[in-house]
Amino acid sequence: MSTALKSPEVKVPRSASEISRALQRRRIRIGLLFVSPWILGFLAFFLYPFFATLFYSFTNYTGIGHAHLIGFANYWALFHDSLFRTSLFNTVYYTAVELPLSTSVALGLALLLNMNVRGQQFYRTVFYIPSIVPLVASCMIFVWIFNPTNGIMNSLLSDAHLPSPDWFFSVAWSKPSFILLGLWGLGQPMVIYLAALQGVPKDMYEVCALEGASAWQRFRFVTLPMISPIILFNGVLQLVLCVSYFTQAQVIESQDIGGPGTSTWFYVQYLYTQAFQFLKFGYSSAMGFFLFIITGIITVVLFKSSSRWVYYAGDDR
Amino acid sequence: MIARMKDDRRAAGKSKMRSRGAQALAAGCAVLVLVIPGTAGATSLRPAASTVNLTWETMWSGPTLLLLKQMTTAFNASHPGIVVSETNIPSATGDAKLQSQIAAGDPPSIFTEWNPVIGEYAADGSIISMNPYLTGAYKNFKSWEYPLAAATGTYKGQLVGVPMSLNSWALYYNKSILKAAGITSPPTTLAQLTADQAKEWIIKGGKLQQIGMYPGGNGFEYFATFFGALNCFNSAGQYDYANTKTCPGATKLMDWLTSFKPYPYAQVNSMNATYGAVAGGDDDPFVAGKEGFNMDGPWEGAQNVPDANPSMVGNFGVVPFPGTVAGPSTIGQGNFNIIPKGAADPTAAFEFITWLAGFNNVKFTANIDPQGGWVPASPTIAAAPAYQAYVKKFPWMSTYLEQMSSKYSQAPVLSTHESQAETAMVTASNNVQDGTYTPAQALTYIDTQANSNT
Repeated sequence: MSTALKSPEVKVPRSASEISRALQRRRIRIGLLFVSPWILGFLAFFLYPFFATLFYSFTNYTGIGHAHLIGFANYWALFHDSLFRTSLFNTVYYTAVELPLSTSVALGLALLLNMNVRGQQFYRTVFYIPSIVPLVASCMIFVWIFNPTNGIMNSLLSDAHLPSPDWFFSVAWSKPSFILLGLWGLGQPMVIYLAALQGVPKDMYEVCALEGASAWQRFRFVTLPMISPIILFNGVLQLVLCVSYFTQAQVIESQDIGGPGTSTWFYVQYLYTQAFQFLKFGYSSAMGFFLFIITGIITVVLFKSSSRWVYYAGDDR
Repeated sequence: MIARMKDDRRAAGKSKMRSRGAQALAAGCAVLVLVIPGTAGATSLRPAASTVNLTWETMWSGPTLLLLKQMTTAFNASHPGIVVSETNIPSATGDAKLQSQIAAGDPPSIFTEWNPVIGEYAADGSIISMNPYLTGAYKNFKSWEYPLAAATGTYKGQLVGVPMSLNSWALYYNKSILKAAGITSPPTTLAQLTADQAKEWIIKGGKLQQIGMYPGGNGFEYFATFFGALNCFNSAGQYDYANTKTCPGATKLMDWLTSFKPYPYAQVNSMNATYGAVAGGDDDPFVAGKEGFNMDGPWEGAQNVPDANPSMVGNFGVVPFPGTVAGPSTIGQGNFNIIPKGAADPTAAFEFITWLAGFNNVKFTANIDPQGGWVPASPTIAAAPAYQAYVKKFPWMSTYLEQMSSKYSQAPVLSTHESQAETAMVTASNNVQDGTYTPAQALTYIDTQANSNT
């Protein structure tokens, strides 16, 4: 009987590259562990709904029971739905006016607040306050201010012997009223512009002064290029907010959705009505996906065109 | 530790056995209850020995919510085997929440819904048919209801909704405004109404101070029965209001709505918004004494006027709306209770919602309905002493009750597109009054929108 002798295990030292790879894997595992809440949230609340919307847009899903595939029927129906066209027009109108106007006003306010004037902090606070008022509350305040019969705005206009519009209750004035409401809460982009303005190097303005540049030339050739990335950023954010306009319209028109007439049927309101009032989840999914495509196209155009008008310091493009 | 676990398992086993025993006993009792008529439990369809918890979701707030809580408390006290918990959800998101709950398989036992969407829910199977429960003591339940109530809650022969209260619409008039305009009695014809209300408008310096009458956004649908134009469908089952041959009433109604075009649409709406934003939304120009005529339900006189402007209490009267049909009429509408698909204990839920309607509960309902200014779900409640005392106190209530049984009253046919039709009617009504559409355009618009995406 022989006893086989086991050779003692010899620990071979790992190479530096093996240790590095193991460390990297460990770091990745830990990293993934830390970002997993976000990943799970992204999968559950963004990616799944996105693909679910795409799928349901090809069905006649009513919210309950089974969804039956109906091909492109929902998309086809979109183009034969006059209220869809109206809601699209209203949203495009609102976006086309609100986007440049809000950018100009927010930037203008930021420029004013960036000047060395007395009470600068006070003015900054005053202009920022509306953006922290709850949206529903500010809508209700606006309805009262712009009430054609008893509102303070028409009282002031009347005292100044100016015409008093019917604001939210007039087909002609309803959309401009919502645009004015949008301008009231510009504190957020204004603060971002203000931060960007304060990041423009002072020595550039000193050079301009030495060269004899006018105020407009300083703004046009120094300030605007230097803050152009922020304008792009704010522009995209505002674009998304404009095309998904919903809460303010829903609150203000609570008794007459889309009114007066169909002048304020906004796209997302119509989408919501189709889904939760008419139980046409398939149709509203098609509307949602159509909106995604439109927003995507505009965003891509904005980014593509940005190489012509956005200046990134340190970028050699 | 192990011994304790074994004891727990034994206890669980015994509990299961006890539970099985109780179930068998309950089933036996249920058979007895259903088979032997005239016993104490004859009105119950569920096993007598079991206790069930029901959840009831409503979209009401304010004084009405307090009444609902009273009703829940009374039911729980009189039905030891059932415990109902009432939950109030915001009306703006009520339907969305219900749909999510049904889709998630966790719906409430009962949901109080306004009738325009009942047809949609019934068509896609979101709510259950109550026909299987119309047996035994409930066999004659539908005939116990007002025919208008039964018809409004029925989809393709299946009872899918039971009202706990009904709407009825009639014409309010302000006595002092009528007198100031030199009119001696309320109108009895449409031409009279149109002429009388025209005398009551006051616009000074371009500012609206008093309205004669203004139909507003609810114009088409709520006025439709007065013109015999509520249910207009073609042979394919699609809405067909624009067809002047088969639906002449729709054209008459839209023409009448268009006759309000000369009045300041924006100022009327802004006045409505102003008053609608005070007194919890119970106020309106009529309640405030700023409108000569107003087509509204009984809650206007029973609840809104006393709550928001008590000085108006003795200053109004109610008459049937003088439409183009030959007698008093109204539309079948109300607070309909439905049982969502997948709801636990639908038998107990049915027992609860019929109790809310006043079935086997006449005395309590005849006392609670007047508090909400409600028209009851059944003539039996209306005839009860407590309700009759209420009608005696407010004689104008009899107008509402009489038209519930009128042959000219109509129930909207529950359809999968009723909600779409209703939304389109609101837009069309507004558009003819603000001059955006002609009557023909408005009717075509309703048909197009109501039938779209079919």
